[in-house]
Amino acid sequence: MSHLTNLLRKEVKELMTGQMIASMLLMIFMFAILGNVIGNVQSEAMKQEVRISLLDLDMSAESKKLTELLNSQQNVALTTLGTESTEDALKIADNHSSSALLVIPSGFGEKIDNKEGADVDVYGIVRGLGIMDTTNSAKTQVAVSVINELIAQEYVREAYPGTEPSNILNPVRPKSFIVLRGVVSEGSPEMITSLLMGQSVLVPVILMIAIMFAGQMVITSMGMEKENKTLETLLTLPVSRSTIILGKIGGATIVAFIMSIIYLLGFGYYMRSITPNSSISMPSLSMGVLGYALLGVSLFLAILVALSLSMLLGVYSQDTKSAQTMIMPVTLLVMIPFFLLMFSDYTTMPTALRALLFAIPFSHPMIASRALLFGDYAVVIAGIVYMALFAVILWLITIRVFRSDRIITAKITFRRKR
Amino acid sequence: MTAIVVDGLRKTFGKIAALDGVTFSVEEREIFGLIGPNGAGKTTTLRILSTLLKPTEGSVSIFGHDVVKEDSEVRKFISYLPEDAGAYKNLKGTEYLRFMAEFFASGRDRESMVKRAAELTGLGERLNDKVSTYSKGMMRKLLVARALMMRPRLAVLDEPTSGLDVINAKEVRDTIKRFAKEGTAVLLSSHNMLEVDFLCDRIALIDRGRIVETGEPEELKKKYGAKNIEDVFIEVVS
Repeated sequence: MSHLTNLLRKEVKELMTGQMIASMLLMIFMFAILGNVIGNVQSEAMKQEVRISLLDLDMSAESKKLTELLNSQQNVALTTLGTESTEDALKIADNHSSSALLVIPSGFGEKIDNKEGADVDVYGIVRGLGIMDTTNSAKTQVAVSVINELIAQEYVREAYPGTEPSNILNPVRPKSFIVLRGVVSEGSPEMITSLLMGQSVLVPVILMIAIMFAGQMVITSMGMEKENKTLETLLTLPVSRSTIILGKIGGATIVAFIMSIIYLLGFGYYMRSITPNSSISMPSLSMGVLGYALLGVSLFLAILVALSLSMLLGVYSQDTKSAQTMIMPVTLLVMIPFFLLMFSDYTTMPTALRALLFAIPFSHPMIASRALLFGDYAVVIAGIVYMALFAVILWLITIRVFRSDRIITAKITFRRKR
Repeated sequence: MTAIVVDGLRKTFGKIAALDGVTFSVEEREIFGLIGPNGAGKTTTLRILSTLLKPTEGSVSIFGHDVVKEDSEVRKFISYLPEDAGAYKNLKGTEYLRFMAEFFASGRDRESMVKRAAELTGLGERLNDKVSTYSKGMMRKLLVARALMMRPRLAVLDEPTSGLDVINAKEVRDTIKRFAKEGTAVLLSSHNMLEVDFLCDRIALIDRGRIVETGEPEELKKKYGAKNIEDVFIEVVS
């Protein structure tokens, strides 16, 4: 067994504690439970009938027709109230557990007949702010808007017998196409925004999870060495300092990889459970094999930089507790580009902001995920070269620190000014 | 061959001089004790010899190899036991010993090294338990066994019996004597004057970063008209 393999095995055994395995299993369990519960609540809410109370103060043929149209809609349980005041109707509707009270004022039928447009008062009765309550409110609005469309269709049928009402109501039907890099595809600019939004959230989320887990593992590993007083012995063994660093980074990467995969699987399951199945496909907005390869390299280098940076910060930790706080600068360097790129595009930013983003190595996979969709390889390759240089320099500094006294004597102390 | 040659060793941390011209030598098979009050520079000396710290001035060679220029060569034949050392808590006792042995040997040689260490610890079946469950004494015995299992040419032991009860401390002292007879040079530091008197062929008294006296325990006792090393120590340091 090589020294590196020996060190890797030790690192994995030290980091993969029973406590950690238990917390990972708990995390999967929580995601599964949450996903199932929220998913079921949403689908149940959509299936359930919405209870609507109706007060007809007009009692005209038109108001009765409206009542019939409402009654004929699926998922609507309509209760017609016999009272004459809105206040009383509201109390009764509330007692009937209705989600809304519709009041048809007197003169409704006359206005409809004269094609003047008539008001219907909709009182939404809110009992809570849960998913079920908000879904019921949305369903009431849909029911009312469907009535509007049905009445409009009646008008058209009366005026133009034998004509399909939708041809009159919506005479122009736009069919959207997008031309991107000379390729024409069916779709709307909103679809691009939606696709880019997915990209701009997904890549940073993956990056953040991977960096935080990996960085945490490396720093914890150093913190444990210091807390358990094992570092001095380790450094006097006949093994090179670069092998020790590689062993620590490698061990942390293995554990972080397992944790990230489990976390992402759990998170993916949760997201699938709570969001409806919709996939956007834009042939002209796809990365291709080269694009995915470059994105992979960019992500790998960003994680390598995070590991090297964490290793360097770990030197200054005194124990596992102080190690937990040492990850903060790394997390901050991921958060800055995440928020900046969420609200604006790299190419349209002011030069100073672009320079700042370029200087932060963790920006590059986020920039790459968008740039590659538009075939802008230059900025991606520049980022890869920059991150590679950054990683090499960090690696050299880390080896230098490991070969110096600082590995034994370094500590960060926060002294109060007197 | 001379095991250790330390010449004019100085080590500063900022403005503080931890060592200020330390000079001594240790022969093969010799047990050499470094004794002195807290903060005298004992641990700094041992750390420099173990390649953990770099000297500010002066030179240290171990079996003819410079500790700065040939540090990786030096690490092949030294074994360092720090005073407050610990072991990897999530490993079992045997796993820890095997992990350490792997750096010095492989296959059967490694297994015989682990077997030797297991005997030295005297922990028996408890070696199959995780290190996190060990008492302070058990941990120290594990670490002493780890330091000696590869029969190093030089063992650098900082307070080897720290935390051990009388019986276990005696066992460790006997083990160190036996290893020295079998060829290991030992440099140790200790606060326990009885231990130093019993174990060491020669001792050096260190105070404020300087060696203030060197010699055989009997020779020093005679020189200062003292009954034991403790009295010599007080006489010299005060």
